Amino acid sequence: MSEKTTYTLPIGPIHPALKEPVAFEFEIEGEKIVGVDLKVGHVHRAIEWIGTQRNPIQIIYLAERICGICNICHPLAFSRAVENIANIEVPERAEYIRTIMAELERIHSHILWAGVAAHEIGFDTVLHLSWAVREKVLDLIEYLTGNRITKAVFTIGGVRRDITKDQYPTINKALNYYKENLGVLVNTFLDDKTIQMRSKNCGILTEEDALKLCAVGPTTRASGIKKDVRVDQAYCAYGDLDIKVMTPDIVTGEVNGDVYDRIVVRLLEVEQSVDLIEQCLDKLPSGDLVAEPKIPKLLATLKKTEGEGIGRAEAPRGEVIHYVKLDGKNEAPYTWKVRAPTYNNLLAWIPMLMGEQIADIPIVAASTDPCMSCTNRVTVIRNNKKEILDNEELHRLSIEKTRRFAR
Amino acid sequence: MKNLSSEEIVQYFNDKFKEKIKDARIEKRSAGSKKKEFFNIWFKIDKSIFKEAINHLCEIQFPHFAVISGNDIGENIELVYHFSVYYGVRLKEISINISVEVPKSNLKIESICDIIPGALISEREIQEMLGVTVEGIPDNRRIFLIGNIPEGVYPWRKDEKGPQKLVRDMYE
Amino acid sequence: MTKESLKTFKKSLWVFHMNTGSCNGCDIEIVAALTPRYDIERFGMMLVGTPRHADVLLVTGPVMKNMEDKVKRVYEQVPDPKAVIVVGNCGATGGVFHESYSVAGPLDKIIPVDVYVPGCPPRPEAIIYGVAKVWLKLEEMEGKK
Repeated sequence: MSEKTTYTLPIGPIHPALKEPVAFEFEIEGEKIVGVDLKVGHVHRAIEWIGTQRNPIQIIYLAERICGICNICHPLAFSRAVENIANIEVPERAEYIRTIMAELERIHSHILWAGVAAHEIGFDTVLHLSWAVREKVLDLIEYLTGNRITKAVFTIGGVRRDITKDQYPTINKALNYYKENLGVLVNTFLDDKTIQMRSKNCGILTEEDALKLCAVGPTTRASGIKKDVRVDQAYCAYGDLDIKVMTPDIVTGEVNGDVYDRIVVRLLEVEQSVDLIEQCLDKLPSGDLVAEPKIPKLLATLKKTEGEGIGRAEAPRGEVIHYVKLDGKNEAPYTWKVRAPTYNNLLAWIPMLMGEQIADIPIVAASTDPCMSCTNRVTVIRNNKKEILDNEELHRLSIEKTRRFAR
Repeated sequence: MKNLSSEEIVQYFNDKFKEKIKDARIEKRSAGSKKKEFFNIWFKIDKSIFKEAINHLCEIQFPHFAVISGNDIGENIELVYHFSVYYGVRLKEISINISVEVPKSNLKIESICDIIPGALISEREIQEMLGVTVEGIPDNRRIFLIGNIPEGVYPWRKDEKGPQKLVRDMYE
Repeated sequence: MTKESLKTFKKSLWVFHMNTGSCNGCDIEIVAALTPRYDIERFGMMLVGTPRHADVLLVTGPVMKNMEDKVKRVYEQVPDPKAVIVVGNCGATGGVFHESYSVAGPLDKIIPVDVYVPGCPPRPEAIIYGVAKVWLKLEEMEGKK
């Protein structure tokens, strides 16, 4: 028997997607992961720096393009930061419409994620099932805002589009569709034996680690930490609504912090979002849509404003925080700092992946819902000979593991 | 320790550090129909008490660390550490922002990774974005600026070390 | 596309999707094109996991300086005859990121591009139309051999 050696297994980054693309370097002992290193920054787009060349209204559209999936929360956090600096009071009706938009985004993002997670364990039927269910909310978003993905409804001090009474029937129809059809998805995910075998006790993040590594969103809530900006802070209309933090023990009675728990939390949140939208529609107050409709006047005010502020919002993936500093001389902000949720969840991957098998990498990495797709190309160094494992190969390993369980 | 109000938190810091807290500002905002309130606290502190202040904050509750922002304000670089405490309690969360100025002649700040391990990525980011040396950082490699962005260019800087010269004109 | 041209399809198109710095907006619309509502696979088009199996390279996002050499390498790995589609405004022109210090340029400054699908993000229908356009172009290239 020769002595044990570890191998290095780099993954990525040929397919990085977002502000935070990642390449992994795993140290493996046989099939077991004993070391994890992260490399991010392959597609650093310098958005914060571009922002300091543009005026706040232009930045709203830039902020939407930080992430194509969470393109409500970034403009929302940025608007809130600027409103806090300039003491702009957002009209109540706008606050409610903002909330409705944010919750629609959460529905679409969580169902999108559910499909991706199913794909990662080779359950493509569920990928197609969940994406078919998801199309309905995209139709609703298109009906309300005019576009499926980038919604462009935000502006500083309010929103750009109203929700009128004659739109209610269509909205209610879509919400009822979710009430009827979510059950199928939830049952598929929570009761399917194969999904349970792949996700239970896999990729565990303990409560202590989640706290110390400052994880956010469903990732931290699945580990039992009650942290949700919507509950913790009165922003938009959330202060008026009946809302509680979703933790996995509501369904399962216990908190394990594994992949299964993260699935539970997200599915619970979809149901919660439908409920929140209904509450908002019930209570929708009348009034203006925007505090200052004349954009040149708004920009002139902001140009003279000096100060710094933060804006926070709960994105589908966790807390988003924007820091803005206006210097009172230029239209463009002096500093703009964006913190997206995956930024804080990156470090949480390390304890999750330690001790797991190579075939578990895709589902564990996907379980934090990273804004990126990076497990795309893998080089395995075995006996100093390089073998290239691509995305398909890694995906195949993952599927094989599912099949072994299914037998 | 019982839950402190925002005024009490400012008092709690002032009692311990006296004049080393250069400025403390409570920002009160409200939202929604019911006008429920929330608070942001802004501290400006002296660099000498920076690490102590973070430790002092941890005694309230283990804070959620969000990120570090950086402002290039001429002679100095201002770092703003964003934290929040009392999360998980309905509408009781308080954001605490601690800003500390570091002179460009001696760009050094202590690492807080030993207290809050989750600060690592943000500390690596300020090292490469502003050229600040974080003393005692467990991993000092670059993180976002890899490959084709040369060393010695700090994108958040407003002086000659900024990234302006790297911009390619696409429409020539 | 006319009916006559549809008859001339000889093989199914395999597409390799590469992201060179996109915001994910275009990428999720590409996946949406694969799923039941749009179901691009019924036309025989599918996404593959490696450029060596692909006929078409589909690129989203402005090209970052770090991705410049990688996109060139991927382009070289796609066997001939090949075609390139760029999906989204940023890949076509630089879009909102045109002033960035880490953008190398729109895709056509780096590799030749055959079809541009504009939009931010383009709808799945537009993406399918773009792939169908490229199909015609590939057939033309085959015919000239």
